[in-house]
Amino acid sequence: MPLPAPENLNVILATDCGSTTTKAILIEKVNGHYRQTFRGEAPTTVEEPVADVTVGVVNAATEVGELAGRPLVDEQGQLIRPARDGRGCDIYISTSSAGGGLQMLVTGVVREMTAASAKRAALGAGAIVMDTIASNDKRRPHEQIQRIRELRPDMILMAGGTDGGTVTHVVQTAELIAPARPQPRFGGQYRMPVIFAGNRDAAPHVAEVLKDIVDLSIVENLRPVLEQENLGPARDAIHDLFLEHVMAHAPGYDKLIAWADAPIMPTPGAVGDILQEIARQRGINVVGVDIGGATTDVFSVFESGGQSVFNRTVSANLGMSYSISNVCSEAGFPMILRWVPIEMNERELRNRVKNKMIRPTTIPQTLESLIFEQAVSREALRLAYLQHREFATTLKGVQQQRSVGDTFSQQSGGASVVDNMKLDLLVASGGVLSHAPRMEQTAAMLIDAFEPEGVTELAKDSIFMMPHLGVLAQVHPQAAVEVFERDCLITLGTCIAAAGATRPGRECFRYVVEFGDQRAEGEMPFGDLRLIRLGPEQTARVEITPARGVDVGAGPGKPLVREVRGGTVGLILDARGRPLQLPENREECRIVADRWARALEMYPDLNSL
Amino acid sequence: MAHAYTPGLLVTPRMRHRVRRVLPIAGDVLVEQGAAVGSQDVVARTYMPGDVTPINLANQLAMPPGELAGVLLKQPGEAIQKGEPLARTKGLFGWFQSEFKSPASGTLESVSSVTGQAMIRSAPLPVQVLAYVDGTVIDVLPGEGVIVEADVAFIQGIFGVGGEAYGPIRCIARSASEDVTPESIPADVRGAVLVGGARIHHSAIQKAVELGAAAIVGGGIDDQDLKTVLGYDLGVAITGSEKLGVTIIITEGFGDIAMADRTFELLRSHDGARVSVNGSTQIRAGVQRPEIVIPLADEAASGDVQGAHGGGVLQVGSPVRMIRDPYFGILGTVAALPHEPQMLGSGSRARVLEVTCRDGRRVTVPRANVEIVGA
Amino acid sequence: MLLPFRCLLLAFAGIAGLSVAAQAAPPSPPGAIEVRDAAWDAGTAVDLSLFPSADESQDAPLEYVVQMSHEQNGVFREMPATVESRSSNQVVLRVAGLTAGQEHWFRAAAVNEAGERSAWTAAGTSVSPVQQWFDGRKLGFLAILSTVCGSILAFIALARSGARLWIRRITGLDAIDEAVGRATEMGRPCLYIAGVQDLNEIETIAGITVLSRVAEKAAEYDATVVMPTSRSLVMTAARETTQAAYMTAGRPDAYQEDRIYYVTDEQFGFVAHVTGLMQREKPAACFYMGQFYAESLMLGETGNTVGAIQIAGTAQPAQLPFFVAACDYTLIGEEFFAASAYLSGDPDQLGSLKGQDVGKLVVAVLLFVGCGLLTLQNLAPSQTWAQAGADWLANSLLSSG
Repeated sequence: MPLPAPENLNVILATDCGSTTTKAILIEKVNGHYRQTFRGEAPTTVEEPVADVTVGVVNAATEVGELAGRPLVDEQGQLIRPARDGRGCDIYISTSSAGGGLQMLVTGVVREMTAASAKRAALGAGAIVMDTIASNDKRRPHEQIQRIRELRPDMILMAGGTDGGTVTHVVQTAELIAPARPQPRFGGQYRMPVIFAGNRDAAPHVAEVLKDIVDLSIVENLRPVLEQENLGPARDAIHDLFLEHVMAHAPGYDKLIAWADAPIMPTPGAVGDILQEIARQRGINVVGVDIGGATTDVFSVFESGGQSVFNRTVSANLGMSYSISNVCSEAGFPMILRWVPIEMNERELRNRVKNKMIRPTTIPQTLESLIFEQAVSREALRLAYLQHREFATTLKGVQQQRSVGDTFSQQSGGASVVDNMKLDLLVASGGVLSHAPRMEQTAAMLIDAFEPEGVTELAKDSIFMMPHLGVLAQVHPQAAVEVFERDCLITLGTCIAAAGATRPGRECFRYVVEFGDQRAEGEMPFGDLRLIRLGPEQTARVEITPARGVDVGAGPGKPLVREVRGGTVGLILDARGRPLQLPENREECRIVADRWARALEMYPDLNSL
Repeated sequence: MAHAYTPGLLVTPRMRHRVRRVLPIAGDVLVEQGAAVGSQDVVARTYMPGDVTPINLANQLAMPPGELAGVLLKQPGEAIQKGEPLARTKGLFGWFQSEFKSPASGTLESVSSVTGQAMIRSAPLPVQVLAYVDGTVIDVLPGEGVIVEADVAFIQGIFGVGGEAYGPIRCIARSASEDVTPESIPADVRGAVLVGGARIHHSAIQKAVELGAAAIVGGGIDDQDLKTVLGYDLGVAITGSEKLGVTIIITEGFGDIAMADRTFELLRSHDGARVSVNGSTQIRAGVQRPEIVIPLADEAASGDVQGAHGGGVLQVGSPVRMIRDPYFGILGTVAALPHEPQMLGSGSRARVLEVTCRDGRRVTVPRANVEIVGA
Repeated sequence: MLLPFRCLLLAFAGIAGLSVAAQAAPPSPPGAIEVRDAAWDAGTAVDLSLFPSADESQDAPLEYVVQMSHEQNGVFREMPATVESRSSNQVVLRVAGLTAGQEHWFRAAAVNEAGERSAWTAAGTSVSPVQQWFDGRKLGFLAILSTVCGSILAFIALARSGARLWIRRITGLDAIDEAVGRATEMGRPCLYIAGVQDLNEIETIAGITVLSRVAEKAAEYDATVVMPTSRSLVMTAARETTQAAYMTAGRPDAYQEDRIYYVTDEQFGFVAHVTGLMQREKPAACFYMGQFYAESLMLGETGNTVGAIQIAGTAQPAQLPFFVAACDYTLIGEEFFAASAYLSGDPDQLGSLKGQDVGKLVVAVLLFVGCGLLTLQNLAPSQTWAQAGADWLANSLLSSG
């Protein structure tokens, strides 16, 4: 069915088939603007006894239809299209992460070069990278073969070598894959899809080695020269194979693919798309995070070397329910407890963490357990962001241009493109962040975990609508951005944070905030946090004069004058310095955490504990 | 949604249970449809391709990979023994020859003319699948495995470590609130499935391993004890492949917690019965819990086949267990199911229910924080 | 034989002296003499402190002659003596050139300008100079030495105890992985040049140290390292090092000896070979680690034209600018020598690196203080303390004499 012209799109139905729930939203054109109007959800029906994903989609669509007073599904259980006489929708689009999403294995020659590019391509396409095989991954070949045999990915992406570069290494990897006889995750009926996006000279040899064993597609090299990445073709191939092989073998997906008016995307891939679209249209640097029960996804779009660089990482074992115990063992209890402003018994907490792990659906009932969960989430987010910063680097293996002036300041390649000082917008989503009882808690978790510097706007995804909008961006970017700005994001406010350090109690910066006919003025001692209420529709003119050596965005010691947006929380002035340091001593640390919690009015009932 | 499904652990004295027993890769099924099988009978078998030993032959012989074909003494596909010469260079007029001896036994699978890599595949590894429960084969999945059906008493635990194990039940606690300590384990428990009451201490697990017990079942375990036993801090609840020497199953949760009376009584009533247990736990989408399967020999009707999952729809009067602090582990019955979401102590709004505890207290908890006890 | 002759001579001199004194008015003899072993010496000197002659005045200080004998009333011979200090009631003379452990008797006389000598005053006691453990004038040296050595030892102990010693990042060394990786991806060799000098040069040795790291990485990545050398000994050392590195990386089979070979001792013959090799093989990574002269820019430029990542390291100040301009990364002097500690992370090496930093710090502080003192002296010439301080630094603390 041909797509209606963008200007004729009035009613859009979008679903996201997650592993537990299918969420549907309705986007309608109201007074010339696209708005998200109704939402509904139903359990996902991929597993027995239903085993047909479209049943869940129909249920969710029916619920939306009932709420909207606009029937979307007919008596035969089919979506009504196009929209006519207050019935049906113009297009239907969907994302999917059911069945654990798209799981991939990637290979390359050097871990930090082509293998990293391959990983970036797979992650950017929305996959979970189960492992990366490279010549220098410190494993002996038989260990690599063993590993390939154990994993049951949905797909393999092979890269390696520049065009005209190494053939031996690439063929060697193929020779590891061939005897391992990798088995796809779903059923033994079809052969493992393998994408080769490496040295084009090696392609015939790879094809020769892998013939009869896997289903090989050859696309353009994703690293034709070391100085340049070309992830597009590999990414498209991943999407195509995802639809062709992986989805087609999941129950009911053949129908879903036929229903959808745009290719179905893996959920995280769609989230990445909408964030890139926003960054492009507004010309800003964005970081997005989605913290789930098992995994945490971090997305970033940063300007680097004149172009916009998108990165996504999945921290597979950092999550708030299935993986909560792993967060605790990776971060360590002392690191988690430093965010807790009250006394807690460690042994009891350890058992509670394990109990949450084995009963992941429970929610904190008491304030005490909420405080603890939010402390864990700070560490999960901090670790995930750390992994992201390490991964999101400029290309390695690139020649440097030098002059004699560089003698004492030689910068190396592979520096992180993520720069908190340049960050403009930080978007939060995922249970612990978007369902926190108070917005102040969400804002505090973001600031403590990500440590933004300078002026950063904080927002949260109200109902995890980003995946839907990501697919919509493929069809109608303008509509996607409009809905994103108006309905998807809840602006929490703006954080102005000082980078650098002085002694506690010394002046960090002075501020003047003018909004409407009000004016706030004062001095921030180092180590303090202050909240100035500024409503969602308000903007304020802020003038910050930092102390010597302190940077609030204009350079060390330089004053900053800016217009900032308010939000449900307001304007947060953070003079705690970067990197954030808390006292080692537990009691001193508790007092500091308590002071910060009070400054941001995080827990109004804190005194009752 | 008023009729939301609430999870729970299945504990039933009688049900008709089906298990799917399949090979990881295609192979041979050894039993026929309708056959009666014992829990430890082999029902399917296959051979996994053997391990591969890669050798860079070109480097070993210091020659270009393209010329390897001319010096091979064995061709791909031929069998080779460890220490047998694999290739020999021609040398200079028959002098200065260098030889490479195979470092492993198996079959020469391939020799690459691009990389100089030779692959030797060792003998295939046999893989067997047992029937797991005493019952009848009701369906054969050709080349894959079988489905076995049996009438059983079935107990789901909340968390376990270690894989499948078999043995007679040996009740070592007088009551469900008695901890499992080394003192409570008698000396003659080799091969037995030990059933204790409350918390399992790590010293008790050590003793059970020393005495050769097959499995140990209890109400709870302390996080620190589990860490001591495993040797690492468990990050995600995906278990089953540990090699501890004993399978551990806990029925309630972590901490000092007694086994639910119903579970304990059911296990005690089958003292001495040969059971199958599996500690494998996978808490992810498609959850898998540890289980104790007790075959029932009598002919009483068990009704239709039932899925091995607990839970159901909450109603006033449903017996529930609270599964989150501050009331963790307390049992009670549902007293009321208010429709409107209520404010919790944490400040969140959530749908709640009221529970009358065993001791007569009445408390309000979020619906997400209870599980249904019993079927 | 010699001794009696010398005694005769001395006796003659003594008579001659007496005869001169008899002619004019000789000064009065010095007062009581005390002899002490000189402190902090090798046991070859004593200090004579004597009460000045009655004829001594500030305007006309008298000279004193000292004679020594090994017996109380034996044959005395004259010994050179230097005036250590002089005041109105005491003159201290130092007599050097004695034998440690032997008894010495002394007597002294005053001599006026006219050369007239007084009568002898003998010291009442003998003295046996004792060899001391320390030369006291070198205490400043001792302090500096123990600071430097102590800090080296302290840092080694610290590093061994597991403390993390911070070392400034040396991007050039971190970039080795990147360069070898590039060569691997591009399927081209790495070129390694350890300078044009022999193994007796410390820079060549440092170059071989870095080579072991490059070779280990190459073994790990399965890349090729080609190394022409201009000295045969360097070739041998490089082969040993490379083989060891391949063993460490667990790939002894991938080591190929003939990739490290000798070309010629001739500087430009060698350079011609290397640049030709670069043009033909187009290496993706070039390392220049050692002593370089005129060839630095030729190598750097050729490497740059073939598109290689280049890492250079040398301590030749004149060649550094060329390397910095032509190469991607350059190790400068000290960085190059610190490479082995930096790369290995071995606590002993790290500790001594940190300890040496303390030594450098001490030197820097002394330089700074000395410059400051001399500047002050020039600004205010009337102040003598600045000059005195500078003299003390130069002559006492740092003097090697």
